[in-house]
Amino acid sequence: MAPTKVKTEEPELPPQKVHLLRDVVPPTDLDPIYSNYQTGVPIALDIGCSSFKIGLTNSPEPHNIFPSVAARYRDRKALKTLTLAGKDVYRDSLVRSSIKTPFDGPLVTNWDYMEVLLDYSLAHLGVVGDNGRLNNPLILTEPVGVPFSQRKNMYEILFEAYQAPKVTFGIDSLFSFYANSTSSTASGLVIGTGHESTHVIPVLHGKGILSQTKRIDFGGHQAEQFLGKLLSLKYPYFPSKLNAHHTSNLFRDFCYVSKDYQEEIDHILDMDKLEEADIIVQAPVEINVGTEKKKSEEELARQAAKRREQGKRLQEQAQQKRLEKLIQKQEEWDYYSKFREESEKLNKSELQARLETDGFDDLADFNKYMSGLEKSLKKAHDQDIGEGDNHEVDPASAWPLLDTPDDQLTEEQIKEKRKQRLHKANYDARERSKELKRQQEEEKAQYEREQQEWREKDLEDWCNVKRIHLAGLISKYKESIKLLESFKDRKSAAAQQRMKNIADLANDESGSTSAASRKRRRNANSTIDNDPNDTFGANDDDWAVYRDISNQKIEEELGETNQEILSLEEELLKFDPNFHHEDTFAASQTFDWRNSVLHKFIHGPRQNITIAMQAEGINPDEIDNHPEIIRKNHQIHVNVERIRVPEILFQPHIAGLDQAGISEISSDLLNRSFGSSFYEGGDSLNLIRDVFVTGGLAHLPNFTTRVTNDFTSFLPVGAPIRVRTARDPIGDSWRGMQKWASSEECENSYISKADYEEYGPEYIKEHGLGNVSLR
Amino acid sequence: MSAPEKQPVDLYKLSEIAEGPHSFKQNPNRLRPPARRYKPARQVIGDEQKYLQTKENIKFDTPTWFSVAAPPSLVPQKHYCDITGLRGKYKNPANSLRFHNVEIYQEIIKNMPPGVDQEYLELRGANVILK
Repeated sequence: MAPTKVKTEEPELPPQKVHLLRDVVPPTDLDPIYSNYQTGVPIALDIGCSSFKIGLTNSPEPHNIFPSVAARYRDRKALKTLTLAGKDVYRDSLVRSSIKTPFDGPLVTNWDYMEVLLDYSLAHLGVVGDNGRLNNPLILTEPVGVPFSQRKNMYEILFEAYQAPKVTFGIDSLFSFYANSTSSTASGLVIGTGHESTHVIPVLHGKGILSQTKRIDFGGHQAEQFLGKLLSLKYPYFPSKLNAHHTSNLFRDFCYVSKDYQEEIDHILDMDKLEEADIIVQAPVEINVGTEKKKSEEELARQAAKRREQGKRLQEQAQQKRLEKLIQKQEEWDYYSKFREESEKLNKSELQARLETDGFDDLADFNKYMSGLEKSLKKAHDQDIGEGDNHEVDPASAWPLLDTPDDQLTEEQIKEKRKQRLHKANYDARERSKELKRQQEEEKAQYEREQQEWREKDLEDWCNVKRIHLAGLISKYKESIKLLESFKDRKSAAAQQRMKNIADLANDESGSTSAASRKRRRNANSTIDNDPNDTFGANDDDWAVYRDISNQKIEEELGETNQEILSLEEELLKFDPNFHHEDTFAASQTFDWRNSVLHKFIHGPRQNITIAMQAEGINPDEIDNHPEIIRKNHQIHVNVERIRVPEILFQPHIAGLDQAGISEISSDLLNRSFGSSFYEGGDSLNLIRDVFVTGGLAHLPNFTTRVTNDFTSFLPVGAPIRVRTARDPIGDSWRGMQKWASSEECENSYISKADYEEYGPEYIKEHGLGNVSLR
Repeated sequence: MSAPEKQPVDLYKLSEIAEGPHSFKQNPNRLRPPARRYKPARQVIGDEQKYLQTKENIKFDTPTWFSVAAPPSLVPQKHYCDITGLRGKYKNPANSLRFHNVEIYQEIIKNMPPGVDQEYLELRGANVILK
């Protein structure tokens, strides 16, 4: 933008796209019940913290996918407790309020609900046990390094409740990798992002290397919660509360992994980048438009005219009264001044008697009254100077009676003379003030002339001097602002000094302080509140002390400095060719939202219309009720959060986790644990040839790009890295189980009911996709 | 939000699916272990720790719940503004909130209602916890 001498208008920006805040949508269809049930076919259950994926392995796709939640609801009318699970919990609003998950973090804690969910799963698979048992082998998922008690409880349900013939467990991300690999002896580095935790698992020749596996305690659930907290802190006065479904949908719809976080956060709030990065989300709001009719222009004008009329009448009345009083006072003064002249001839007792008949105590009282009278007369004269009639009078002939002595005049004429004297005094005062004004104008013109000459002689010098002066004024202004600001803080040095001054002032205020305080000390019962010697307030002037120590003086100074700055800038704008509107102090102080990080963070790449309307001087009530404002108040801008939340996977310390991120763990793994074996046939090389991302967060855009970028930064130059995501990051673990069910490895790793009864719940058979035995 | 249901659903029928009785779950001899019902995750993890101490063949790299937890990061932490998430070059000495620039400090941190600073710090686990 080129510098200008005038204020520039801002170009209009097109409106942004507004997204609607999405809540949970109740499923319209029921979970179907399987019709293809066969006894003896293995059943695969992928038990995830967020959803169950279940099915018989005679089908290539998981049969049911439902959220892992259950709800118990007491129907008081029917005296019955309903138990609902999976999708069914969203069917009824009363049930929806009592939704619970069997999980606490990544672990199962409520086994009752877990059993409900397993019952629900098997019932939907159409399982029929003709002998009261479940006659299918089971394949289940479990977390890496699952605590013993978890498996024990699961075994208990499976073998005691269902009396399943045989059971095996595996790890979900490894199953997903298995489903996405062509051979069962594939190698790769599996990044499994779950609902509650994220794992990095190296797989060599088809076997998960669990001893090198690492778990970051951060998953989709934590990410959604983090986003929710960020937004509630960002908009503390947001009118409606965001629930877990809202934040979950926001996270899924708008968050993405930054390809280069450090670079991107430096520029995400730049106007051009923000245009794309900023997402507006509108919470539902009802707006009532135009409840009150506005008063018409005409009506307003009529009201104003009426008010003006009234004001005028009052003014006239007041002036009338003032004039009457003035005349009365003038008469009084005339009388008493004559009396004073006479009193000089009288002796003391006579004078006193005269005074007492007129209602005075003594001569002092009389003098006081006279001086007061004089003062008020003078004040009245001064006041009337401005508003007095302005028609020209000839001072020589206007007041003919003034020069004639009183004794030559009639009663009538004396009165007239008094009036004329008043007028003459008025006239004189007016002349004096006119003269003063004229002098000031002359001085000003003189100053202008001098300035003009100076400019003509040496414009550069003039500009320099003025600019230096301006800089001085501005710094003075800022100093005063700082001083005022620091008074607000009770602990600042300036405020402390001021308190000290006040205390000192209070101490020396009365000269008798030392005596008074001594007295106070003698009278132990008197405090500052009931001290009988404390006469503060008896005299009204006492309160003036508060005016003295208030900050009014600084504020007045501030106003003066500001005026000076403005006039100086006006001159500079007029004459200095290099001084533009942008250089003025006011321009540097005005709020430019385009440069405000905070404004762009909270309100996005458009000006907050509340501020705009306030600047236009629209009254606050109207602003509050403006439909557009109400709508804006129900909007959320998601910008930095879009990359800030997923970044936690790579820098967990952002969320306060004292753990390394995905890339650091992988770097450690490849370069240290596997000894940087990037030669042909080396483990590290095999791993980076297939970096595999699975789990719900693999849906985040740019995840693979970011992983590639990060890995490239720590791998040797030219390392053949390949990063891919699962075909279906959520469902593929079930498909892996289905595929694995028909393998020999699976057949060999089942624990039969007899094994369980003989060896106990600690007993498992190790296989490439499962946990290791601790027995 | 309560969307109108499309077809009336018999919640009792749905409840039966979850509740049973099921033909595959008919073990008259099933014992109900009384202690298993509800334990918070923290307690489950504590029990696991005790359990692992009884095992003799646990080595440093045996994959247990505790050994697979990611280790602390060794790279220097980058600092981010607690309010905006941008680079946090500065720190308020009074409550150790990090901030991006003077504007954030003047507008947000200085006028922060009491307690809000702790909420911000809680996001990165740096809040003061009174016990």
